[in-house]
Amino acid sequence: MQTPSADIADLIARCALRDRAAFRTLYERTSAKLFGVVLRILKDRSEAEEAIQEVYVKIWQRADRFIPQNTSPISWLVAVARNHALDILRARRPVSDDIDVALDVPDDAPSPEKAAEASQERARIDTCLGTLDPDRANAVRGAYLDGMSYEELAQRYTVPLNTMRTWLRRSLIRLRECLTA
Amino acid sequence: MSMEQDIGGADGARALVAEYVLGLLDATTHAQVERVIAGDPRLEAERDFWVSRFAGMNDEFAEVSPPPRLLGAIEARLFGAPAPRVSWWDSLALWRGLAAGALAVAVVAVGFAAFEPRQDVSSLTNQLIAALEEEGSDIRFLAFYDGAGTLRLTALSGDVAPDKDLELWAIQDDTVTSMGVVPVGEAIEVKVAPDILAGWGEGSVLALTLEPEGGSPTGVATGPIVAKGEVTRI
Repeated sequence: MQTPSADIADLIARCALRDRAAFRTLYERTSAKLFGVVLRILKDRSEAEEAIQEVYVKIWQRADRFIPQNTSPISWLVAVARNHALDILRARRPVSDDIDVALDVPDDAPSPEKAAEASQERARIDTCLGTLDPDRANAVRGAYLDGMSYEELAQRYTVPLNTMRTWLRRSLIRLRECLTA
Repeated sequence: MSMEQDIGGADGARALVAEYVLGLLDATTHAQVERVIAGDPRLEAERDFWVSRFAGMNDEFAEVSPPPRLLGAIEARLFGAPAPRVSWWDSLALWRGLAAGALAVAVVAVGFAAFEPRQDVSSLTNQLIAALEEEGSDIRFLAFYDGAGTLRLTALSGDVAPDKDLELWAIQDDTVTSMGVVPVGEAIEVKVAPDILAGWGEGSVLALTLEPEGGSPTGVATGPIVAKGEVTRI
């Protein structure tokens, strides 16, 4: 017997092979979840209805890029939906000064583990968010679940923008230590 | 401002990937980070790490059913055809057992029927189709119900002895009702009787039996089933 996750992975693989019936089944099985994602982030029903259509167009077009080893199938689908909704919000937000992006991760950095089971992931992130100051943990949740920007977070916690940034970055570094421990 | 002013080195880089995954970066920076990550296996692993760890919060996204019309709209965008056409082609799978030539006849027959001017929209939505066949028999029929009380039968192959006739039966909830004798080798129309129409729809089964000339003398099928098929929506 296949797990639901293997089922979804199979449907995505069949979409990559241009199987329209598989696409329809995938939509029937996952659209309520993905619609919930775009609706929560966009907070506007008609915008969410337009966005979910674009999300499934992307899923069909990018089905061949799904790599089961890297992420669970439903996490991949949620990421496609979430990123699409965030792209819509981001396009409306101001752009700060151009920064030089330096991304040097040292060679001896421990390589992150591959995806674990969903229930395990949930317990892990909950535990590690629990080690942070509650406001900071909620700021991470607000960014992930509601697509809140630094500006919105700074307003909510009534701190200057740069303070919010520093806060959150330090929280993310601590979170990473906990998540890899 | 520079990222490196706040938090330097590897920690800063990792935090930046996390910010990227969370969606906290402005459009320009986001696009820049995306380019830098792409093609660098260690940064890609770092990104996937955050994607799967943050995915632990995905349970908190409540499920909300989208309006039913969206699926058709998406399929139209992707496949360039309205939803009914897609389901129409899906139903062609039913006919895989039929010979290619017979299939062409079937498509022409149904296509012709679909263009009949007197059909209104409500009858179109009630159209049903059945491919009648049976293992060990070369008798094959295609049945098309126009949604308005008429069943059109087209013989695709097979023949019967001169002293025999084919009789058509409707099987609904274990009730078998005769629909009359069907000539081989020509298309005919059968009016569906009210008592059959009462239970008519997807799942009704049509069957052909071999009977003495003129049909079963008893009103109950006496010969073997030579073809049958379940009606389904097109």
